Amino acid sequence: MMLASFLEALLQFLQPATLLGVFVDGLAKSAIFVTIAAGLTLIFGLMGVLNFAHGSLTMVGAYLGGLFMVLAVGEATGGTTRLLLFLVAIAVVFALLGSVGGAIEVGLIRPLYDRPPLYQILLTFGLTLVLDELVRIVTLFYDVQPRADWQAARGTKPAFLASGVQLGPVSVGPLEALQVALGVLTVVGIWAFLTRTRYGLYVRAGSEDDEMAEALGIDVRRVFTVVFALGTALAGAAGVLLMWDKNWGASVPLASETLLPAFVVVIVGGLGTFRGTVVAAVIVGMTDAVMTWWFVNHVEFTGLPELTVFLILVGVLVVRPQGLFGVEGVGGH
Amino acid sequence: MTLLEVEDVHTYYGQSHVLEGVSLEVEAGEVVALVGRNGVGKTTTLRSVLQLTPPRSGSVRYRGEELVGHRTHEVADRGVGWIPEERRVFSRLTVEENLRVSVPDPEDVPAALARVFETFPDLDEFRDKEAGDLSGGQQQMLSVARGLVGDNDLLLVDEPSEGLAPLIVEAVAEALSAAAEEATLLLVEQNLPLALDLADRFYVIDHGQVVEEGATDDVSADDERLRRYLSA
Repeated sequence: MMLASFLEALLQFLQPATLLGVFVDGLAKSAIFVTIAAGLTLIFGLMGVLNFAHGSLTMVGAYLGGLFMVLAVGEATGGTTRLLLFLVAIAVVFALLGSVGGAIEVGLIRPLYDRPPLYQILLTFGLTLVLDELVRIVTLFYDVQPRADWQAARGTKPAFLASGVQLGPVSVGPLEALQVALGVLTVVGIWAFLTRTRYGLYVRAGSEDDEMAEALGIDVRRVFTVVFALGTALAGAAGVLLMWDKNWGASVPLASETLLPAFVVVIVGGLGTFRGTVVAAVIVGMTDAVMTWWFVNHVEFTGLPELTVFLILVGVLVVRPQGLFGVEGVGGH
Repeated sequence: MTLLEVEDVHTYYGQSHVLEGVSLEVEAGEVVALVGRNGVGKTTTLRSVLQLTPPRSGSVRYRGEELVGHRTHEVADRGVGWIPEERRVFSRLTVEENLRVSVPDPEDVPAALARVFETFPDLDEFRDKEAGDLSGGQQQMLSVARGLVGDNDLLLVDEPSEGLAPLIVEAVAEALSAAAEEATLLLVEQNLPLALDLADRFYVIDHGQVVEEGATDDVSADDERLRRYLSA
């Protein structure tokens, strides 16, 4: 009986329309994961700092993006204008959180570089608590429900992003397509920054040996600040991307909900390697999409797909503790 | 002209007092060797000049300007290069990227690369190869080339022959001779014949202090005075 049910589900899964739908869903999830995890891995790769506040910065980005949209969008604002404003919101939050990240690095993290890594972990963990509580207080004060998704921000989504677009046999959500596009843009942008710019060369050199890089005339501290700012800016931009998403939305728990999969992606890919992060984001995103389809449609137990993501983590840690593309002993200063 | 003056430098690692008043001078155009047993403070002297391990007291002047209190990248910007122990090339960067990252002004990169590949034609062959895939000798060449490409006037060279086969040591010695044509060298070297062959003058360091100095022409590698300080 169970076998027959399983075979029936398998046949349904193997239908081209289902496979394509799951593939697109997986791509969108991968794009979100890579956007969040990219900042985390750049920061760890260069500075050796495990930024526990990364998820909270994503959450702050979602709220700031939502706030921007609520203030900028009126009832009469058309769909195209809303979409353009959304892109502006991403740019504004990127710049704003980049500045905040730079200030955090200079003011809080820099004094701790000469101390054991535990100090930085405690600091960024403490920052998480402060940011989460601060947002909780502010959202309570302004009657923005802190536990539920922020509906006012959701309401700024253009109508054409809500309905699916039929591409052959597959119905693709335009928001998912937008997430994929921005994920690809993030990957290409960071790749170009790392491999095609002089500053990217400094980052790669400093990631391997910051003392040698400094002795070659590179102001490694300034590179640290730029990379930390870039990482937090990416976290914030990812938050804006999640603001309209039906599975996420602007909410305080978004901080931990994004931090955990981002850590899984970074560890599976290999701490501090951008290439590993991209590959791991695709693996984790696709697995999550496949498992979500299976558990939602056939097991009807929606909590389990997230578990599979952590099973990937356990599996990789057992077989290859340094991650798929990680090098033992590399990362940090 | 005196390029580098190190005067009564005291450097510590935590509570450990490693340099106990080192003083030395390097004239422009010279090759000066620092010799001594393992752990007596030779590498720490170079690190103190670069401010990688800043002295707690004393003075390090480069072209008459005080370096103590400056950060390492500022020292490097003034034209002080470092060819460190164990090479420390960026293993995941290509040979060319290792050299590019060492040129201070991006506009100078093409000319600097052309010049260094002329001096080290072997490296040109591997320019697109990751430095981690090179042999130990090739990595040492790259490390020397990296010091030269930065257009430095003073190169601090730390144990360039360490761990290399005798044939490779010869090639490294040739590379350092080429480097000495372009820059002043302060050389830490355990291989006494090599050090004396390359250097014009020498300082012997023992227990964090300079205990002997002189011209290399006045001593030989089997000099009893030097052997005494170099034997364990």
